[in-house]
Amino acid sequence: MFKGVTISALALLILFFVGILVSMVSYTDWNTFISALLSREILFAIRLSLTTATVATILSMLIAIPVAYAISQTEFPGKNIVDSLLDLPIVISPVALGAALLVFFNTPVGAGIDAHIIKFVFAVPGIVLAQITVISALAVRLLKSTFDSIDPRYEQVGRTLGCSKPEAFLRITLPLAKDGLIASGILTWARATGEFGATITLAGATTMKTETLPIAIFLSLASADIEKTIAVIFVLIIIAVVALIIMRKIIGRRYVI
Amino acid sequence: MLLVGLLIFTLFSGCAKGQQKTINVFCGAASKPAMDESAQAFEKKTGIKVYCNYGGSGAVLSQMKLSKTGDLYVPGAPDYIPKAERDDAIDTKSVKIIAYLIPVIAVQHGNPKNIQSLSDLAKPGLKIGIGNPDAVCLGLYAIEILDYNHLLAEVGKNIATQAESCEKTATLLSLKSVDTVIGWHVFHDWDANNIDVVYLKPEQIPRIAYIPAAISTFTKDRDSAQKFIDFLVSKQGQDIFSKWGYITTESEARKFAPNAETGGEYELPDTYYELLGK
Repeated sequence: MFKGVTISALALLILFFVGILVSMVSYTDWNTFISALLSREILFAIRLSLTTATVATILSMLIAIPVAYAISQTEFPGKNIVDSLLDLPIVISPVALGAALLVFFNTPVGAGIDAHIIKFVFAVPGIVLAQITVISALAVRLLKSTFDSIDPRYEQVGRTLGCSKPEAFLRITLPLAKDGLIASGILTWARATGEFGATITLAGATTMKTETLPIAIFLSLASADIEKTIAVIFVLIIIAVVALIIMRKIIGRRYVI
Repeated sequence: MLLVGLLIFTLFSGCAKGQQKTINVFCGAASKPAMDESAQAFEKKTGIKVYCNYGGSGAVLSQMKLSKTGDLYVPGAPDYIPKAERDDAIDTKSVKIIAYLIPVIAVQHGNPKNIQSLSDLAKPGLKIGIGNPDAVCLGLYAIEILDYNHLLAEVGKNIATQAESCEKTATLLSLKSVDTVIGWHVFHDWDANNIDVVYLKPEQIPRIAYIPAAISTFTKDRDSAQKFIDFLVSKQGQDIFSKWGYITTESEARKFAPNAETGGEYELPDTYYELLGK
Protein backbone atom coordinates (compact mmCIF):
# COMPACT_ATOMS: atom_id res chain seq x y z
CA MET A 1 0.00 0.00 0.00
CA PHE A 2 2.73 2.43 1.03
CA LYS A 3 4.88 1.43 -1.90
CA GLY A 4 1.91 2.01 -4.19
CA VAL A 5 1.41 5.51 -2.85
CA THR A 6 5.07 6.46 -3.21
CA ILE A 7 5.34 5.05 -6.73
CA SER A 8 2.12 6.88 -7.65
CA ALA A 9 3.57 10.14 -6.36
CA LEU A 10 6.67 9.58 -8.50
CA ALA A 11 4.56 8.74 -11.52
CA LEU A 12 2.42 11.86 -11.06
CA LEU A 13 5.45 14.12 -10.84
CA ILE A 14 7.07 12.61 -13.93
CA LEU A 15 3.75 12.77 -15.77
CA PHE A 16 3.48 16.46 -14.90
CA PHE A 17 6.87 17.37 -16.36
CA VAL A 18 6.49 15.07 -19.35
CA GLY A 19 3.08 16.62 -19.95
CA ILE A 20 4.58 20.11 -20.06
CA LEU A 21 7.29 18.95 -22.46
CA VAL A 22 4.83 17.21 -24.74
CA SER A 23 2.57 20.29 -24.87
CA MET A 24 5.56 22.32 -26.05
CA VAL A 25 6.30 19.92 -28.90
CA SER A 26 3.11 20.94 -30.65
CA TYR A 27 4.26 24.57 -30.69
CA THR A 28 7.41 24.05 -32.67
CA ASP A 29 8.65 21.85 -35.47
CA TRP A 30 11.80 19.93 -36.32
CA ASN A 31 13.04 22.49 -38.86
CA THR A 32 12.75 25.41 -36.45
CA PHE A 33 14.51 23.36 -33.79
CA ILE A 34 17.44 22.44 -36.06
CA SER A 35 17.82 25.96 -37.44
CA ALA A 36 17.78 27.34 -33.90
CA LEU A 37 20.29 24.75 -32.68
CA LEU A 38 22.73 25.48 -35.50
CA SER A 39 22.34 29.27 -35.57
CA ARG A 40 25.35 31.37 -34.60
CA GLU A 41 23.35 33.05 -31.89
CA ILE A 42 22.37 29.84 -30.13
CA LEU A 43 25.74 28.12 -30.58
CA PHE A 44 27.24 31.16 -28.90
CA ALA A 45 24.66 30.96 -26.12
CA ILE A 46 25.39 27.26 -25.57
CA ARG A 47 29.13 27.87 -25.28
CA LEU A 48 28.57 30.85 -22.99
CA SER A 49 26.12 29.01 -20.72
CA LEU A 50 28.38 25.96 -20.37
CA THR A 51 31.57 27.90 -19.66
CA THR A 52 30.07 30.43 -17.23
CA ALA A 53 28.12 27.80 -15.30
CA THR A 54 31.16 25.55 -14.97
CA VAL A 55 33.45 28.38 -13.84
CA ALA A 56 30.81 29.65 -11.42
CA THR A 57 30.25 26.19 -9.98
CA ILE A 58 33.95 25.49 -9.45
CA LEU A 59 34.47 28.85 -7.73
CA SER A 60 31.30 28.47 -5.65
CA MET A 61 32.24 25.00 -4.49
CA LEU A 62 35.75 26.19 -3.55
CA ILE A 63 34.13 28.87 -1.38
CA ALA A 64 31.29 26.71 -0.11
CA ILE A 65 33.30 23.71 1.07
CA PRO A 66 35.24 25.54 3.82
CA VAL A 67 32.18 27.62 4.73
CA ALA A 68 29.93 24.58 5.02
CA TYR A 69 32.59 22.75 7.02
CA ALA A 70 32.88 25.70 9.41
CA ILE A 71 29.13 25.87 9.98
CA SER A 72 28.80 22.13 10.29
CA GLN A 73 31.76 21.22 12.47
CA THR A 74 32.81 24.34 14.32
CA GLU A 75 31.20 26.12 17.19
CA PHE A 76 31.34 29.88 17.30
CA PRO A 77 29.18 32.61 18.85
CA GLY A 78 26.25 33.71 16.73
CA LYS A 79 26.30 30.47 14.72
CA ASN A 80 22.53 30.23 14.52
CA ILE A 81 22.20 33.74 13.16
CA VAL A 82 24.89 33.16 10.54
CA ASP A 83 23.21 29.92 9.57
CA SER A 84 19.92 31.72 9.01
CA LEU A 85 21.55 34.59 7.17
CA LEU A 86 23.09 32.14 4.71
CA ASP A 87 19.59 31.05 3.74
CA LEU A 88 18.65 34.59 2.71
CA PRO A 89 20.18 34.58 -0.80
CA ILE A 90 18.07 31.54 -1.58
CA VAL A 91 14.89 33.30 -0.43
CA ILE A 92 15.61 36.65 -2.05
CA SER A 93 14.75 36.59 -5.73
CA PRO A 94 17.76 36.43 -8.07
CA VAL A 95 16.47 39.65 -9.64
CA ALA A 96 16.92 41.38 -6.30
CA LEU A 97 20.46 39.99 -6.00
CA GLY A 98 21.28 41.21 -9.50
CA ALA A 99 19.88 44.66 -8.74
CA ALA A 100 21.86 44.77 -5.48
CA LEU A 101 25.04 43.93 -7.38
CA LEU A 102 24.29 46.62 -9.95
CA VAL A 103 23.83 49.15 -7.16
CA PHE A 104 27.10 48.02 -5.56
CA PHE A 105 28.98 48.67 -8.79
CA ASN A 106 27.57 52.17 -8.72
CA THR A 107 29.26 52.93 -5.41
CA PRO A 108 32.77 54.46 -5.49
CA VAL A 109 34.36 51.14 -4.43
CA GLY A 110 32.36 49.11 -6.90
CA ALA A 111 32.85 51.55 -9.75
CA GLY A 112 36.59 51.46 -9.10
CA ILE A 113 36.68 47.68 -9.26
CA ASP A 114 34.58 47.70 -12.41
CA ALA A 115 36.79 50.24 -14.14
CA HIS A 116 40.26 49.14 -13.04
CA ILE A 117 40.25 45.49 -12.00
CA ILE A 118 37.61 43.46 -13.82
CA LYS A 119 34.65 44.75 -15.77
CA PHE A 120 31.56 43.03 -14.40
CA VAL A 121 28.64 45.26 -15.39
CA PHE A 122 27.27 44.29 -18.84
CA ALA A 123 30.19 41.92 -19.37
CA VAL A 124 30.76 38.16 -19.27
CA PRO A 125 32.49 38.18 -15.82
CA GLY A 126 29.23 39.71 -14.61
CA ILE A 127 27.44 36.54 -15.68
CA VAL A 128 29.82 34.43 -13.59
CA LEU A 129 29.51 36.81 -10.63
CA ALA A 130 25.71 36.82 -10.83
CA GLN A 131 25.64 33.03 -10.95
CA ILE A 132 28.07 32.70 -8.04
CA THR A 133 25.99 35.12 -5.95
CA VAL A 134 22.86 33.08 -6.52
CA ILE A 135 24.29 29.56 -6.19
CA SER A 136 26.79 29.95 -3.34
CA ALA A 137 24.20 29.88 -0.59
CA LEU A 138 22.63 26.81 -2.20
CA ALA A 139 26.02 25.09 -2.37
CA VAL A 140 26.69 25.87 1.30
CA ARG A 141 23.28 24.55 2.31
CA LEU A 142 23.80 21.28 0.38
CA LEU A 143 27.36 20.78 1.60
CA LYS A 144 26.40 21.48 5.20
CA SER A 145 24.00 18.53 5.05
CA THR A 146 26.82 16.43 3.65
CA PHE A 147 29.26 17.37 6.39
CA ASP A 148 26.58 17.01 9.05
CA SER A 149 26.19 13.38 8.09
CA ILE A 150 29.87 12.59 8.71
CA ASP A 151 30.66 11.42 12.19
CA PRO A 152 33.38 13.72 13.63
CA ARG A 153 34.87 10.69 15.35
CA TYR A 154 36.63 9.65 12.16
CA GLU A 155 38.51 12.91 12.05
CA GLN A 156 39.24 12.73 15.76
CA VAL A 157 40.69 9.24 15.40
CA GLY A 158 42.81 10.49 12.54
CA ARG A 159 44.10 13.30 14.73
CA THR A 160 45.09 10.84 17.45
CA LEU A 161 46.99 8.86 14.82
CA GLY A 162 49.11 11.90 13.93
CA CYS A 163 47.25 13.83 11.25
CA SER A 164 47.19 17.61 11.47
CA LYS A 165 43.79 19.26 11.21
CA PRO A 166 44.11 20.11 7.48
CA GLU A 167 45.46 16.62 6.78
CA ALA A 168 42.55 15.04 8.61
CA PHE A 169 40.12 17.15 6.60
CA LEU A 170 41.69 16.36 3.24
CA ARG A 171 42.45 12.68 3.77
CA ILE A 172 39.50 11.60 5.87
CA THR A 173 36.53 13.94 5.77
CA LEU A 174 36.58 14.95 2.11
CA PRO A 175 36.78 11.42 0.72
CA LEU A 176 33.98 10.40 3.07
CA ALA A 177 31.93 13.29 1.71
CA LYS A 178 32.51 12.47 -1.95
CA ASP A 179 28.97 11.41 -2.78
CA GLY A 180 27.54 14.53 -1.19
CA LEU A 181 30.16 16.66 -2.93
CA ILE A 182 29.32 15.21 -6.32
CA ALA A 183 25.57 15.58 -5.81
CA SER A 184 25.95 19.15 -4.51
CA GLY A 185 28.26 20.04 -7.38
CA ILE A 186 25.88 18.73 -10.00
CA LEU A 187 22.88 20.48 -8.47
CA THR A 188 24.82 23.73 -8.14
CA TRP A 189 25.92 23.48 -11.77
CA ALA A 190 22.35 22.87 -12.85
CA ARG A 191 21.15 25.91 -10.90
CA ALA A 192 23.91 28.03 -12.42
CA THR A 193 23.00 26.98 -15.95
CA GLY A 194 19.39 27.97 -15.39
CA GLU A 195 20.23 31.28 -13.71
CA PHE A 196 18.39 34.18 -15.31
CA GLY A 197 17.18 37.01 -13.06
CA ALA A 198 20.50 38.13 -11.60
CA THR A 199 22.31 37.54 -14.89
CA ILE A 200 20.00 39.68 -16.99
CA THR A 201 20.02 42.48 -14.41
CA LEU A 202 23.79 42.65 -13.95
CA ALA A 203 25.14 41.48 -17.30
CA GLY A 204 22.32 42.67 -19.53
CA ALA A 205 20.63 40.96 -22.45
CA THR A 206 23.08 41.84 -25.19
CA THR A 207 22.75 39.53 -28.19
CA MET A 208 25.92 37.57 -28.92
CA LYS A 209 27.71 39.06 -25.96
CA THR A 210 26.02 38.23 -22.65
CA GLU A 211 23.38 35.96 -24.09
CA THR A 212 23.18 32.73 -22.10
CA LEU A 213 20.58 30.11 -23.03
CA PRO A 214 17.95 31.31 -20.51
CA ILE A 215 18.44 34.86 -21.78
CA ALA A 216 18.15 33.63 -25.38
CA ILE A 217 14.84 32.03 -24.45
CA PHE A 218 13.65 35.28 -22.89
CA LEU A 219 14.72 37.36 -25.91
CA SER A 220 12.92 35.02 -28.30
CA LEU A 221 9.77 35.30 -26.22
CA ALA A 222 10.23 39.06 -26.09
CA SER A 223 10.36 39.11 -29.90
CA ALA A 224 6.98 37.34 -29.99
CA ASP A 225 8.67 34.38 -31.72
CA ILE A 226 7.07 31.46 -29.91
CA GLU A 227 8.41 28.77 -32.24
CA LYS A 228 11.99 29.89 -31.68
CA THR A 229 11.38 30.19 -27.93
CA ILE A 230 10.24 26.58 -27.67
CA ALA A 231 13.07 25.43 -29.93
CA VAL A 232 15.65 27.09 -27.67
CA ILE A 233 13.96 25.61 -24.59
CA PHE A 234 14.46 22.16 -26.09
CA VAL A 235 18.07 23.03 -26.90
CA LEU A 236 18.60 23.92 -23.23
CA ILE A 237 16.91 20.72 -22.06
CA ILE A 238 19.02 18.54 -24.33
CA ILE A 239 22.28 20.31 -23.48
CA ALA A 240 21.48 20.00 -19.79
CA VAL A 241 20.56 16.31 -19.99
CA VAL A 242 23.72 15.49 -21.99
CA ALA A 243 25.93 17.50 -19.63
CA LEU A 244 24.40 15.95 -16.50
CA ILE A 245 24.79 12.42 -17.84
CA ILE A 246 28.41 13.07 -18.81
CA MET A 247 29.17 14.59 -15.40
CA ARG A 248 27.69 11.65 -13.56
CA LYS A 249 29.68 9.23 -15.71
CA ILE A 250 33.01 11.02 -15.45
CA ILE A 251 32.92 11.89 -11.77
CA GLY A 252 31.29 8.62 -10.85
CA ARG A 253 33.98 6.64 -12.67
CA ARG A 254 36.86 8.43 -10.99
CA TYR A 255 35.53 7.74 -7.55
CA VAL A 256 34.56 4.12 -8.02
CA ILE A 257 36.39 2.11 -5.40
CA MET B 1 -16.99 29.69 14.04
CA LEU B 2 -14.59 32.47 13.09
CA LEU B 3 -13.13 30.33 10.30
CA VAL B 4 -16.55 29.61 8.85
CA GLY B 5 -17.37 33.30 9.05
CA LEU B 6 -14.17 34.20 7.23
CA LEU B 7 -14.85 31.61 4.52
CA ILE B 8 -18.34 32.95 3.92
CA PHE B 9 -17.00 36.50 3.82
CA THR B 10 -14.40 35.67 1.17
CA LEU B 11 -16.97 33.76 -0.87
CA PHE B 12 -19.27 36.74 -0.77
CA SER B 13 -16.60 39.26 -1.78
CA GLY B 14 -15.65 36.91 -4.59
CA CYS B 15 -19.24 36.97 -5.82
CA ALA B 16 -19.48 40.74 -5.67
CA LYS B 17 -16.26 41.16 -7.68
CA GLY B 18 -17.54 38.75 -10.29
CA GLN B 19 -20.25 41.20 -11.19
CA GLN B 20 -17.85 44.02 -11.95
CA LYS B 21 -16.72 44.16 -15.56
CA THR B 22 -13.00 43.84 -16.09
CA ILE B 23 -10.83 44.10 -19.14
CA ASN B 24 -7.24 42.98 -19.57
CA VAL B 25 -4.80 45.10 -21.49
CA PHE B 26 -1.54 43.64 -22.76
CA CYS B 27 0.56 46.76 -22.71
CA GLY B 28 4.03 47.68 -23.88
CA ALA B 29 5.98 49.38 -21.16
CA ALA B 30 6.45 52.57 -23.18
CA SER B 31 3.04 53.86 -22.13
CA LYS B 32 3.00 52.68 -18.52
CA PRO B 33 2.65 55.92 -16.54
CA ALA B 34 -0.12 57.27 -18.73
CA MET B 35 -1.91 53.92 -18.98
CA ASP B 36 -1.89 53.47 -15.21
CA GLU B 37 -3.58 56.81 -14.72
CA SER B 38 -5.96 56.28 -17.64
CA ALA B 39 -7.02 52.92 -16.21
CA GLN B 40 -7.85 54.50 -12.88
CA ALA B 41 -9.71 57.41 -14.46
CA PHE B 42 -11.65 55.03 -16.71
CA GLU B 43 -12.69 52.88 -13.76
CA LYS B 44 -13.87 55.95 -11.88
CA LYS B 45 -15.89 57.04 -14.89
CA THR B 46 -17.43 53.74 -16.01
CA GLY B 47 -16.92 51.27 -13.17
CA ILE B 48 -15.10 48.94 -15.54
CA LYS B 49 -11.84 47.69 -14.02
CA VAL B 50 -8.79 47.70 -16.25
CA TYR B 51 -5.92 45.32 -15.55
CA CYS B 52 -2.73 46.22 -17.38
CA ASN B 53 -0.07 43.56 -17.96
CA TYR B 54 3.17 45.36 -18.76
CA GLY B 55 6.32 44.20 -20.41
CA GLY B 56 8.16 44.44 -23.69
CA SER B 57 5.72 44.75 -26.59
CA GLY B 58 6.86 41.42 -27.99
CA ALA B 59 6.83 39.66 -24.63
CA VAL B 60 3.25 40.65 -23.85
CA LEU B 61 2.21 39.70 -27.38
CA SER B 62 3.64 36.24 -26.71
CA GLN B 63 1.68 36.06 -23.49
CA MET B 64 -1.49 37.15 -25.23
CA LYS B 65 -1.07 34.61 -28.04
CA LEU B 66 -0.22 31.74 -25.72
CA SER B 67 -2.95 32.39 -23.17
CA LYS B 68 -5.52 33.24 -25.86
CA THR B 69 -6.90 35.89 -23.54
CA GLY B 70 -6.85 39.65 -23.43
CA ASP B 71 -9.07 42.47 -24.54
CA LEU B 72 -6.62 45.08 -25.78
CA TYR B 73 -3.09 45.12 -27.15
CA VAL B 74 -1.20 48.38 -26.76
CA PRO B 75 2.40 47.97 -27.97
CA GLY B 76 5.01 50.67 -27.68
CA ALA B 77 5.42 51.12 -31.42
CA PRO B 78 3.55 50.45 -34.66
CA ASP B 79 6.05 47.74 -35.66
CA TYR B 80 4.21 45.18 -33.59
CA ILE B 81 0.84 45.71 -35.21
CA PRO B 82 1.75 43.89 -38.45
CA LYS B 83 3.27 41.12 -36.31
CA ALA B 84 0.11 40.82 -34.25
CA GLU B 85 -1.98 40.88 -37.45
CA ARG B 86 0.01 38.06 -38.98
CA ASP B 87 -0.67 36.02 -35.88
CA ASP B 88 -4.40 36.83 -35.98
CA ALA B 89 -4.15 38.32 -32.53
CA ILE B 90 -5.81 41.66 -33.15
CA ASP B 91 -8.68 43.19 -35.05
CA THR B 92 -6.91 45.44 -37.53
CA LYS B 93 -9.94 47.61 -38.09
CA SER B 94 -9.96 48.65 -34.44
CA VAL B 95 -6.45 50.14 -34.38
CA LYS B 96 -6.34 53.69 -33.10
CA ILE B 97 -3.33 55.91 -32.50
CA ILE B 98 -3.10 56.97 -28.88
CA ALA B 99 0.06 59.05 -28.72
CA TYR B 100 3.27 59.79 -30.58
CA LEU B 101 6.83 59.10 -29.49
CA ILE B 102 9.90 60.93 -30.71
CA PRO B 103 13.23 59.11 -30.64
CA VAL B 104 15.86 61.22 -28.87
CA ILE B 105 19.26 60.95 -27.29
CA ALA B 106 18.69 60.62 -23.55
CA VAL B 107 21.53 61.59 -21.23
CA GLN B 108 22.25 61.76 -17.54
CA HIS B 109 20.99 64.82 -15.75
CA GLY B 110 23.17 67.81 -16.54
CA ASN B 111 24.62 66.08 -19.63
CA PRO B 112 28.04 65.43 -18.05
CA LYS B 113 29.49 64.00 -21.27
CA ASN B 114 28.27 67.04 -23.23
CA ILE B 115 26.49 65.18 -25.98
CA GLN B 116 24.96 67.65 -28.38
CA SER B 117 24.34 65.64 -31.52
CA LEU B 118 24.02 62.16 -32.97
CA SER B 119 27.61 62.13 -34.21
CA ASP B 120 28.80 62.84 -30.65
CA LEU B 121 27.73 59.29 -29.86
CA ALA B 122 30.82 58.10 -31.72
CA LYS B 123 33.11 59.76 -29.16
CA PRO B 124 35.62 57.16 -27.98
CA GLY B 125 35.06 55.82 -24.49
CA LEU B 126 31.36 56.68 -24.40
CA LYS B 127 29.05 54.01 -22.97
CA ILE B 128 25.79 53.74 -24.87
CA GLY B 129 22.75 51.64 -24.08
CA ILE B 130 20.00 50.70 -26.50
CA GLY B 131 17.01 48.43 -26.35
CA ASN B 132 17.69 44.96 -27.72
CA PRO B 133 16.66 45.44 -31.36
CA ASP B 134 15.16 41.96 -31.63
CA ALA B 135 12.94 42.38 -28.62
CA VAL B 136 12.35 46.08 -28.03
CA CYS B 137 10.86 48.54 -30.53
CA LEU B 138 13.03 51.25 -29.08
CA GLY B 139 16.15 49.27 -29.94
CA LEU B 140 14.94 48.77 -33.49
CA TYR B 141 14.45 52.53 -33.89
CA ALA B 142 17.92 53.15 -32.48
CA ILE B 143 19.54 50.94 -35.10
CA GLU B 144 17.36 52.44 -37.83
CA ILE B 145 18.39 55.98 -36.90
CA LEU B 146 22.08 55.09 -36.75
CA ASP B 147 21.85 53.21 -40.05
CA TYR B 148 19.90 56.03 -41.74
CA ASN B 149 22.57 58.52 -40.67
CA HIS B 150 25.44 56.22 -41.68
CA LEU B 151 26.74 56.08 -38.11
CA LEU B 152 26.00 52.45 -37.31
CA ALA B 153 29.62 51.23 -37.52
CA GLU B 154 31.21 54.07 -35.53
CA VAL B 155 28.54 54.38 -32.85
CA GLY B 156 28.08 50.61 -32.74
CA LYS B 157 31.50 50.30 -31.09
CA ASN B 158 30.24 52.26 -28.11
CA ILE B 159 27.13 50.20 -27.47
CA ALA B 160 27.86 48.68 -24.06
CA THR B 161 24.63 46.86 -23.48
CA GLN B 162 21.19 46.10 -24.82
CA ALA B 163 18.24 46.39 -22.48
CA GLU B 164 15.51 43.81 -22.58
CA SER B 165 12.66 46.26 -22.36
CA CYS B 166 11.77 49.88 -22.97
CA GLU B 167 11.65 50.95 -19.34
CA LYS B 168 14.89 49.07 -18.61
CA THR B 169 16.52 51.26 -21.23
CA ALA B 170 15.45 54.29 -19.22
CA THR B 171 16.54 52.64 -15.98
CA LEU B 172 20.04 52.22 -17.41
CA LEU B 173 20.30 55.99 -17.25
CA SER B 174 18.60 56.38 -13.89
CA LEU B 175 21.12 53.95 -12.40
CA LYS B 176 23.96 55.70 -14.25
CA SER B 177 24.99 52.37 -15.71
CA VAL B 178 25.62 54.00 -19.09
CA ASP B 179 26.38 57.54 -20.23
CA THR B 180 23.57 57.78 -22.75
CA VAL B 181 20.78 55.85 -24.41
CA ILE B 182 18.75 56.30 -27.56
CA GLY B 183 15.33 56.58 -26.02
CA TRP B 184 11.90 58.15 -26.27
CA HIS B 185 11.36 61.81 -25.50
CA VAL B 186 9.10 60.83 -22.60
CA PHE B 187 12.03 59.38 -20.64
CA HIS B 188 12.60 62.82 -19.18
CA ASP B 189 9.03 62.89 -17.91
CA TRP B 190 9.45 59.46 -16.39
CA ASP B 191 12.52 60.46 -14.37
CA ALA B 192 13.08 64.21 -14.55
CA ASN B 193 15.68 64.07 -11.78
CA ASN B 194 18.04 61.74 -13.60
CA ILE B 195 17.28 61.95 -17.30
CA ASP B 196 17.64 64.84 -19.74
CA VAL B 197 16.97 64.62 -23.45
CA VAL B 198 18.82 65.96 -26.47
CA TYR B 199 16.62 66.23 -29.55
CA LEU B 200 17.90 65.04 -32.90
CA LYS B 201 17.85 67.27 -35.94
CA PRO B 202 14.59 66.83 -37.88
CA GLU B 203 16.30 65.44 -40.96
CA GLN B 204 18.01 62.75 -38.89
CA ILE B 205 14.76 61.05 -37.91
CA PRO B 206 13.48 58.59 -40.52
CA ARG B 207 10.37 57.50 -38.63
CA ILE B 208 8.21 58.74 -35.79
CA ALA B 209 6.72 56.13 -33.57
CA TYR B 210 3.26 56.05 -32.16
CA ILE B 211 1.48 54.03 -29.54
CA PRO B 212 -1.36 52.09 -31.18
CA ALA B 213 -4.18 50.38 -29.39
CA ALA B 214 -6.06 47.46 -30.90
CA ILE B 215 -8.85 45.18 -29.76
CA SER B 216 -7.63 41.63 -29.35
CA THR B 217 -9.30 38.78 -31.20
CA PHE B 218 -9.46 36.94 -27.88
CA THR B 219 -11.66 39.53 -26.19
CA LYS B 220 -14.73 38.37 -24.34
CA ASP B 221 -16.10 41.88 -23.81
CA ARG B 222 -15.69 43.79 -27.03
CA ASP B 223 -17.95 46.52 -25.81
CA SER B 224 -15.85 47.42 -22.78
CA ALA B 225 -12.65 47.11 -24.82
CA GLN B 226 -14.02 49.57 -27.38
CA LYS B 227 -15.10 51.90 -24.57
CA PHE B 228 -11.56 51.97 -23.19
CA ILE B 229 -10.03 52.73 -26.59
CA ASP B 230 -12.58 55.50 -27.07
CA PHE B 231 -11.64 56.82 -23.63
CA LEU B 232 -7.94 56.84 -24.50
CA VAL B 233 -8.52 58.95 -27.62
CA SER B 234 -11.06 61.20 -25.90
CA LYS B 235 -10.06 64.56 -24.48
CA GLN B 236 -9.78 63.15 -20.96
CA GLY B 237 -7.48 60.33 -22.06
CA GLN B 238 -5.40 62.55 -24.30
CA ASP B 239 -4.98 65.07 -21.50
CA ILE B 240 -3.58 62.32 -19.30
CA PHE B 241 -1.08 61.34 -21.98
CA SER B 242 -0.13 64.98 -22.54
CA LYS B 243 0.44 65.41 -18.85
CA TRP B 244 2.97 62.60 -18.93
CA GLY B 245 4.84 64.18 -21.83
CA TYR B 246 3.41 62.12 -24.70
CA ILE B 247 2.65 63.95 -27.91
CA THR B 248 -0.98 63.62 -28.82
CA THR B 249 -1.36 65.16 -32.26
CA GLU B 250 0.44 64.29 -35.46
CA SER B 251 1.01 67.95 -36.27
CA GLU B 252 2.88 68.44 -33.01
CA ALA B 253 4.93 65.31 -33.65
CA ARG B 254 5.76 66.55 -37.15
CA LYS B 255 7.41 69.63 -35.67
CA PHE B 256 10.25 67.36 -34.59
CA ALA B 257 10.54 65.53 -37.88
CA PRO B 258 8.53 67.05 -40.72
CA ASN B 259 9.62 64.55 -43.34
CA ALA B 260 9.57 61.40 -41.29
CA GLU B 261 7.32 58.46 -42.00
CA THR B 262 4.97 57.13 -39.38
CA GLY B 263 4.27 53.50 -38.84
CA GLY B 264 5.51 50.70 -41.03
CA GLU B 265 8.15 48.13 -40.28
CA TYR B 266 11.92 48.27 -40.28
CA GLU B 267 14.13 45.29 -40.94
CA LEU B 268 17.51 45.04 -39.24
CA PRO B 269 20.25 45.48 -41.85
CA ASP B 270 23.01 42.93 -42.48
CA THR B 271 25.54 45.43 -41.16
CA TYR B 272 23.91 45.10 -37.75
CA TYR B 273 24.50 41.36 -37.70
CA GLU B 274 28.10 41.91 -38.82
CA LEU B 275 28.46 44.30 -35.91
CA LEU B 276 27.32 41.59 -33.52
CA GLY B 277 29.62 39.01 -34.99
CA LYS B 278 32.78 40.89 -34.12
